[in-house]
Amino acid sequence: MLERERVSVYLAWRSLARGSRTSLLLNVAIIGLVFTNMILLPSIISGSVDLFNQQTIDYQTSDILVRPAEGEQYIERVGTLLETIDRVPGVRRASARHAIGATLLARNRSVSVPVTALNPRDEVEVTTIHERMKDGEFFAGGERGEILVGQFVSGSEDAREDLFTSLGGVRVGERIEVAFANGVIRDYVVKGIYETRSYLVDYSALITWEELESVMDGQVDEATEVLVRTDRAHELGVVKRGLLEAGVQEEVKTWREAITSAVEESIETFGIINSISMLVSLVIAVVVIFIVITIKAMNQRRQIAILKAIGIHRGVIIRSYLLQVLAICTLGTLVGLVAVGGIEAWFTAHPLIFPDGELVPRFDPAALVENAAWLFVVSLIAGYIPAWRITRETVLSGMRAA
Amino acid sequence: MMIRVDGLRKTYRMGNVEVRALDGVTLDVAGGEFVGITGPSGSGKSTLLHLIGLLDEPTAGSISVQGVDVLRLTDDERTHFRLTRIGYIFQDYALVPDLTALENVFLPTLARGMAEYDGLERAAALLRRVGLEERTDHLPAELSGGEQQRIAIARALVNEPALLLADEPCANLDTHASEMVLDLFARINREFGQTVLMVSHEESHQRYFTRTVRLQDGVVVDDSGRASGDGDDDQARGRGDASIYPVPFHHDHGDP
Ligand SMILES: Nc1ncnc2c1ncn2[C@@H]1O[C@H](COP(=O)(O)OP(=O)(O)OP(=O)(O)O)[C@@H](O)[C@H]1O
Ligand SMILES: [Mg+2]
Repeated sequence: MLERERVSVYLAWRSLARGSRTSLLLNVAIIGLVFTNMILLPSIISGSVDLFNQQTIDYQTSDILVRPAEGEQYIERVGTLLETIDRVPGVRRASARHAIGATLLARNRSVSVPVTALNPRDEVEVTTIHERMKDGEFFAGGERGEILVGQFVSGSEDAREDLFTSLGGVRVGERIEVAFANGVIRDYVVKGIYETRSYLVDYSALITWEELESVMDGQVDEATEVLVRTDRAHELGVVKRGLLEAGVQEEVKTWREAITSAVEESIETFGIINSISMLVSLVIAVVVIFIVITIKAMNQRRQIAILKAIGIHRGVIIRSYLLQVLAICTLGTLVGLVAVGGIEAWFTAHPLIFPDGELVPRFDPAALVENAAWLFVVSLIAGYIPAWRITRETVLSGMRAA
Repeated sequence: MMIRVDGLRKTYRMGNVEVRALDGVTLDVAGGEFVGITGPSGSGKSTLLHLIGLLDEPTAGSISVQGVDVLRLTDDERTHFRLTRIGYIFQDYALVPDLTALENVFLPTLARGMAEYDGLERAAALLRRVGLEERTDHLPAELSGGEQQRIAIARALVNEPALLLADEPCANLDTHASEMVLDLFARINREFGQTVLMVSHEESHQRYFTRTVRLQDGVVVDDSGRASGDGDDDQARGRGDASIYPVPFHHDHGDP
C-alpha cells in the first residue's frame, strides 16, 4: 500500500510545484487569515476574562473570601478569627472589612455608596488598591477624620463626563460630609483617590477601622468579609480546606467560587459569541477549500482520466488532492501562527485600553491546537467531496474533456 | 491465448440514432503476435482498442485478456490490470500536462512500486530509445506532436506490459521516426515476447505485422496472415536488448 502513498505524494508535489504560484500563495494567505480570525476573538475574550479575574483578586476578593455564614449579617469575633486564619498553613495574611451604607455630600452633590472600613496594614497585604492611587495617598494606619474615595465617586466637574453620579470632581484635601446608615454624620478630608478601573471598587469609599469604631461609638469586632491572601506555592483548594479544618464556621470561597453567577453568565455569553465566530471562520475555510479543489479538479479532468487510464487508482488521485489541501492548511496555519505571534507581541507592548483596564489578548496553546485541528478536519472534508465527485467520471468521457 | 474477444458490440445512442461502432467482433490473439488493425476512419478501430484496453465497456459480448474475464473485474481491479499488464498508446497521446517527459514515463514505474532510481533509469533509457534524450525535462506543452507521441510510446512500454495497444502511434511521425518506433515494437515483440496490437492505415507498416485484421463498419472483414504462434504465449520472453529495459522488472502477473 505504501506504493500508492508514494504516488499520491508525487502527484501532489508535482501539482503544487507546477501549478500557479500566485493562487497557491493566495490560498495559503486565506487559510492563514481564517486561522488568525479563529484565534483572535477567543484570545481577546480570554484576555478580558483574565483581566476581570485579576481585578477581582487584586481589589475585591483576594485569593480566598470569607463571608458571614448563611443567614448571618456579620462575621462575629473577627479579631479571634483573623488570628485563627493567619495560623493556617499557606495563608500569608488576612484582612477584615466592614462595609456600611452611606451618603456622601460635597460640592452640593451627593452619592450613595458603601463605605468600607479596613485595617491598612492588613489590607495592603491582601489587595493592591494602595498601588492604584490616582491622587493623594493610601492610609498608613490609624487615620481619623480622613477618607479615600474611588475615581467614580470623585468624578468630574462636568457631570456629562461621568458614568455614575459623582461628587463633581472633588479633590484631595477637600472636605466631604458623610451620612452613615446608623444616622451618624461626619466631616472628612479626602486623603486620596484610587483608580482600579473595576467599576464596583471605584464606586466606593474607604475609612480606617479606628474611624469606624468612632462612628459606631465603641469597639467593633464584627466584619462583613475577610479577605485572605495565600502563598503562591499553595493550592487554593488546599488552603481553603485548611481554613475549614481550623474551625472557620463562616462561608469560605476561593475567588473563583466567589465570582457571582452574573459574571459566569456573561462569560458563557462570550463563549457563545466565540463559537459563532469559530463557526463562521470554519464555513469560510470550507467554502475556500471546496472551491479551490473543485476548480483544480475540474481543470484537471483530462489529467485525472489519463492517470486512471495508465493505471493510477482513483483513491490515489483523491489522496493527492487531499495532500494538497493538507499542504495549503499547514502553510496557512504556519502563516496564521506567525500572524498571531506578531499580534501577541504588538498587544503585549500596546495593550488594548478598555474602560475597565488594559487588555492583553491571551493565546491559549490548547485553543490554537483545537482550532488548527478543526481547520484541518473541515478542510479535508471540503476537499474530499469535489475530488471524489470529479474522479468518478469514466476514463473516456474525462479524456474528451478539453 | 493473450486476447479472446467474442461477439463484441458497442452501440452509441445519440437521441434516436443508434451508432454501431462495433457490430459483433470476434477475435483471438495469441501471445507474441504483432497484429496490425486497419480499416477506414470510423470503422471502430479505436473503439475495439478501448474495449480490449479496459477503458470502456461493451454493449454486448465478452473479452478475456490472459485468461481473465476482464468484464467481471471491479473498477479498482481494472485499474490495476491496466497498470500491470497493458501498455496503451492513445491516438491523442494523453500525456499528463503537469509532468515533464521524463516524469510522464517514470510515473507508471512509481505506481508499479519500482525503486525511484531504477524507474528513472528505465524511463530515461526508453526516451533515449525513441530519440528524445534531449527533451526529458520539457513539459508536453513545450513539445511537438511527434515528440509527444514518442513520449506516449515510451510511457506505454515502461512497465514492460504483456500487451501493448497502440492507436495510430505513428500518425504524427515522419518516415524515419516511424521506422524507429516500429523497429522498437518489433524488437520488444521478438525479444521480450510482448504482444502488440496496433492500429495503422499505412501500407508501409504492413511488413512489420505478423497478422493484419481489417475492420469495416464495426465488423472484421479480413483476417490474414494469422500466425501459428499459438501456445507459446508470453512464456517466450527472454532477456532481450538491455538498451530497452536496462533494469529488470519483477513481473507480478498474478491476479489483481
Ligand atoms: N462517444 C461516442 N459517441 C457517439 N459515437 C461515437 C463515440 N465514439 C465513437 N463513436 C462512433 O463510433 C464509430 C467508430 O469510432 P472509432 O473511433 O472507433 O473509429 P476509428 O476506426 O478509430 O476511426 P479513426 O480511424 O478516424 O480513428 C464512429 O462512427 C464514431 O462516430
Ligand atoms: Mg481511431
